[in-house]
Amino acid sequence: MITIPYLTALTTYFSYGLLFAFGQLRDFFRKFIDWWKASNLQGYAPICLGLEDFYIRRLYLRIQDCFGRPIASPPDAWFDVVERVSNDNNKTLQRTTKISRCLNLGSYNYLGFAAADEYCTPRVTETLQRYSASTCSTRMEGGTTALHVELEQVVADFVGKPAAMVTGMGYVTNSAILPVLVKHGGLIISDSLNHNSIVNGARGSGATIRVFQHNTPSHLERVLREQIAEGQPRTHRPWKKIIVVVEGIYSMEGELCKLPEIVSICKKYKAYVYLDEAHSIGAVGKTGRGVCELLGVDTADVDIMMGTFTKSFGSCGGYIAGSKELIQYLKYTCPAHLYATSISPPAAQQIISAIKVILGEDGSSRGAQKLAQIRENSNYFRSELQKMGFEVLGDNDSPVMPIMLYNPAKIPAFSRECLKQNVAVVTVAFPATPLLLARARICISAAHSREDMVKALEVISRVGDLVGIKYFPAEPKKHELVEGREKVE
Amino acid sequence: MKYVKARPTTDLNRNTDWFTYPGVWTTYIFIIFFSWLLILSVSGCTPGMAWTIVHFSHFLVTYHFFHWMKGTPFAEDQGIYNRLTWWEQIDNGKQLTRNRKFLTVVPVVLYLIASHTTDYQHPMIFFNTVAVIVLVIAKFPNMHKVRIFGINGDM
Repeated sequence: MITIPYLTALTTYFSYGLLFAFGQLRDFFRKFIDWWKASNLQGYAPICLGLEDFYIRRLYLRIQDCFGRPIASPPDAWFDVVERVSNDNNKTLQRTTKISRCLNLGSYNYLGFAAADEYCTPRVTETLQRYSASTCSTRMEGGTTALHVELEQVVADFVGKPAAMVTGMGYVTNSAILPVLVKHGGLIISDSLNHNSIVNGARGSGATIRVFQHNTPSHLERVLREQIAEGQPRTHRPWKKIIVVVEGIYSMEGELCKLPEIVSICKKYKAYVYLDEAHSIGAVGKTGRGVCELLGVDTADVDIMMGTFTKSFGSCGGYIAGSKELIQYLKYTCPAHLYATSISPPAAQQIISAIKVILGEDGSSRGAQKLAQIRENSNYFRSELQKMGFEVLGDNDSPVMPIMLYNPAKIPAFSRECLKQNVAVVTVAFPATPLLLARARICISAAHSREDMVKALEVISRVGDLVGIKYFPAEPKKHELVEGREKVE
Repeated sequence: MKYVKARPTTDLNRNTDWFTYPGVWTTYIFIIFFSWLLILSVSGCTPGMAWTIVHFSHFLVTYHFFHWMKGTPFAEDQGIYNRLTWWEQIDNGKQLTRNRKFLTVVPVVLYLIASHTTDYQHPMIFFNTVAVIVLVIAKFPNMHKVRIFGINGDM
């Protein structure tokens, strides 16, 4: 539940209304001027209908320099951001040769594996020389190496399931698996804030989609009861199967899923549970095994566990873990396995080495240190931000913390001011988030030291005062209170 | 400082889900009121004439954006709403919700204010009546997805 000051809500609607009105006015004049110019389409249909890209042309392009910034180094705690200039008011941007060294608060580098690691990188370069950069084949043909088999076994053991299947891309894992699991006549019930990959996979599957209110198990139960009672649309026959899709940590909110309640409801109504652990695997839990370990849910109760390797393991690709029969079935039917190139061998080696470090099998305690570090860092950063008066979302222990901005003008203001002071943040707005709730999303990493976080807090506090996003009253500092008491005595 | 809670909606359509968050109705009414003040201060007309101008321009603007333009201003939903106007998209197509009732009442209230403050004189009352009849009929539940004589039908 997000708490907005009422006046901020009114001004945000008014700002978007003004932006929309100006955009429409400019479109009107553009249509008028283009009427006189000859069209260069030569009889072909236009690619865009003219209204579809309104948001991109009139709102996004104005603040284009806040998104898509190129970087020139690995995304460690500090990295190099390439500066860009625009000669036509942000319609196009050109890269310059100047780079600035910035503090990285935007990369999904939860355990710090994004930069060179003393255990992983030598092994990855050895694999690169042995197996070369790509298998140049699908898994069915020549793309299965000993590394791939070992990787699937390691992932299955790590996650706590009997078997696992690995694909080369994380987004594709969701959008190619859901159509295979459910087809026309099935029902997918997904959380209202699920990731775009799940939404696209569900739309591509042909099954009926129903949405339940974000993280509200009581609403999920109501939707389940209603849908089971009604059956398929128009024919009212019973559903062929029902899958409930939830995420471990929601990437735009930083909230943990209410997994124990949701799993118990699904068990009661015999629906399958599909858990997307893209942001939580490797980042939460005592040994890094994700949200099931953190919340005490038995992995045998979650039917399909999906995750990606881009966040905590510093690699690329995704996995699906489940029972042996499920994985065998997926290996015969899933297009990501049959027709897509298999995961690159150095990337696979990076994942295997990262998992070994996390589990402590490399002979050191760096894994446990990293896990403790990220938990400490996240809790410290979140509590300090909340003390300063920012509105920060997300649960404790979650390394994702969005700071609410709301007004559309504060998005580029916050982003540009922070970049000037050498802190790189990621801001997210409509349509990735609801219109009212634009935010700056901070991802804390185990690679951030205490000095880095103190600097980041200083910069964010200064910029926050300048931009005006401290919506809650700040907590008074402790030594001020003590002084007051002494004076009275 | 007054705070409100924003509960996440179940509306998947990003073009219309902003209407379910708190503060929209108040913003709408404030915009209408401030545009009346603006028209009064810019032109030197009577308050009644200003209300008529507000009512008529409100008719033009809301008819164009609610009942004429179709689809969404972004391409991420792959055009599944390309045949629906904004009015047909809100609340997932469910009729007679609170939002729809509010949006139907606003032009009627504006009509009453505009007619009263101009003392029901010609020709203002003619234009005002035409505007309110067109707007209210466009919002009837029976007019859902109806295109009269194929006007504004699909390309």
